Amino acid sequence: MKKHTDAGKNIVLDIRGQICPACLMITLRELNSNKDKLKNEKARLVVKTDHRDATRTIPGAASAMGYSVSVLQRDRYYEITLEYGK
Amino acid sequence: MSGLEKIGKTDPRLGNEKLKRYIRDKVNHLLSVMGTKPLGREELDDNTLLELDPIGIIALSFEQILEHQKETNRRLTVAKDQLQAVFDTVGVCISIIDEDMRIVNCNEKQKELLVSVNTEVIGKHCYEIYCGKDSPSLDCPAVETLATGRPVFIREVKKKNRHFQIVTSPMKDAEGQVTGAIEVSMDVTEKKKVEELMRQAEKLTAIGLLAGGIAHELNNPLGNILGYATLLLKDGESALGAGQREKLEIIVEQAKKGSEIIRGLLDFSRQSVPAFQNILINDIIRKTVRTLQNRLACQGIKLDTALAEGLTVRADPRKIELVFLNLILNSIQAFEGMDRKGKAISVRAAREGDLIQVKIADNGPGIPEDILPNIFDPFFTTKPVGKGAGLGLSICSGVVREHKGSIHATSEPGEGTEFTVCLPAPAGVKGRNGKEDICSGSL
Repeated sequence: MKKHTDAGKNIVLDIRGQICPACLMITLRELNSNKDKLKNEKARLVVKTDHRDATRTIPGAASAMGYSVSVLQRDRYYEITLEYGK
Repeated sequence: MSGLEKIGKTDPRLGNEKLKRYIRDKVNHLLSVMGTKPLGREELDDNTLLELDPIGIIALSFEQILEHQKETNRRLTVAKDQLQAVFDTVGVCISIIDEDMRIVNCNEKQKELLVSVNTEVIGKHCYEIYCGKDSPSLDCPAVETLATGRPVFIREVKKKNRHFQIVTSPMKDAEGQVTGAIEVSMDVTEKKKVEELMRQAEKLTAIGLLAGGIAHELNNPLGNILGYATLLLKDGESALGAGQREKLEIIVEQAKKGSEIIRGLLDFSRQSVPAFQNILINDIIRKTVRTLQNRLACQGIKLDTALAEGLTVRADPRKIELVFLNLILNSIQAFEGMDRKGKAISVRAAREGDLIQVKIADNGPGIPEDILPNIFDPFFTTKPVGKGAGLGLSICSGVVREHKGSIHATSEPGEGTEFTVCLPAPAGVKGRNGKEDICSGSL
């Protein structure tokens, strides 16, 4: 797992190689620990995963928590962007 | 589990199999609640499981879910309140009914116009509450919408003495099945009245033009007939036989009657220019009553007056007198052929805001509801042929409109009729004494 914050205040979480439900656990842990930043500073959590199931489980849970979700298919992985509210 | 790099130390709880099983079971249960599959041992080994604390993660996630739900509920409540306010204050009646035609909801306007006070409507049949019927009528738009799933528009329908335009739209479930209908009704009663008034005004204008033209054409020859017949009566006083004299007198009498009708037609078509001046309305009323004093006495009719003093209007006194004369005569004539005691007419005058209101009421036979809308039409009469031209009330209507006023009648068959004439009070004029004390009297 790799994690960094990019220039645009995005928290980028690279969990390629992980499978569900570990992907979901790790994403939820990031959503919890960065709650204030995501809600108050309009930061976004960008999750990079190559596990197809994660494109279903992460959006489902994140939506219930009030995050808007977009999923992009990149070359050999998926990019799931979570943004509070919107 | 590879990739969770920071978890490298051996957890002291690792030997507690019961605890590990408990954590794994609880995590899997919570994951199933979140709609995802259980953790496999190959995904998360026991050591990582204890270090990662998935129960804690899911608990915090549930806290966020709960916060989001609370915020969503708050927003929904605000939106619902706003929608309810729009629902209730919108100027049309809205009712939602289910497939059995039972009322699910209706707005305040619907209750105000179509529901009796203190009536519980939810769950009742709409035709019972809104239409006062035991079953839906054949042309009910809601029946058609529920049957066809299509919107239906009805140009006009009468419910509870009011006129409505109705649109019904279907409500459908996810499968497209009709589950109910929304009925939106617009009250067009006032609009209809205005349209009727406009139609009446157009008709009166057309008839007025026609009548005025004919009256002018007939006035001269009729004047000649009357003049020559009167001359013959005078000149041939000695030479005329009794039969000839009688026939000439009939000619004079009929010519005079014809002149009266023509004068009425000219008044109706308002071809005589009104001479406006500030006048005290009571002076006109009293003068009119004096004129009719004998006739009232002969027919045993009691006339009461209740006149607020100092009521000034800007009017043509001759024309306004004609209005009151016609209205009181109308009441007197209503008693003809009526064998009853206590025949009474009342004349009341008062100020109502910026208007001077004169009410002339009788306890005569009243006017049937079906002909009440026509009484101000020219040539409309219920009197026998030769007894009236049907111009009196239409002249009144024309004169009052010429004075920027209004006239209307209310009647209860068997109870009597009341005419109300409203004339604008001139701005800043209070009256002779600046007072409006009621002065009563009777004949």
